[in-house]
Amino acid sequence: MAQQKQYYRRKKVCKFCVERIDTINYKDVKLLSQFVPERAKIMPRRISGVCSPHQRRLNEAIKMARNIALLPFTSE
Amino acid sequence: MRNYEIMFIAGPNTTDEELDKINTQIEGVVTAGGGQITKIEKMGKRRLAYEINRNREGHYVLFVISANGEIVKEAERRLRVMDAVIKYITVRTDEDERRFDKIKGFRQRRAARRGSGARSAAAEPLDQSVEDGM
Repeated sequence: MAQQKQYYRRKKVCKFCVERIDTINYKDVKLLSQFVPERAKIMPRRISGVCSPHQRRLNEAIKMARNIALLPFTSE
Repeated sequence: MRNYEIMFIAGPNTTDEELDKINTQIEGVVTAGGGQITKIEKMGKRRLAYEINRNREGHYVLFVISANGEIVKEAERRLRVMDAVIKYITVRTDEDERRFDKIKGFRQRRAARRGSGARSAAAEPLDQSVEDGM
């Protein structure tokens, strides 16, 4: 048997699955900005823990929001 | 007919009357083409996330309409021509709405099945604990 791990890492969960958020809307800046860190890049799945179907929709929504100046492309 | 959302940003110095004028113009385009307007929402003055034509602020207006491609094309052309409008976006929403209704219906049916089942009392808290533990 392998040695037991020294540390315990909390398993990440998809926010959208857990909170049952069905529609990821581009107008919902408050929600989207949680996934856009300071540098204004889209947060990768490996950090946020969002599942891939939801990440895909999130991506679309963030890009739409950028188009209409609700979210920045970059931060200066 | 499809459902669309048209959102546009007017410059920060646009007065209320000018905004109303733009709105009635778009409204005219939609109704003249046989479309329907579900909602017009003035979202007020907001700070833009980035500079557009040296503007840092803008008036956001949202149209929720049911129309066809021709109407949208004409409305977009009008918006492009107007000087006050600095940016616009059109989003088709009917597909997303249909998907959302499907999920909602599925969930309701499942809830109904659970409610009538014998282990309805046990199923709910168990489900909860599984999600909390993740």
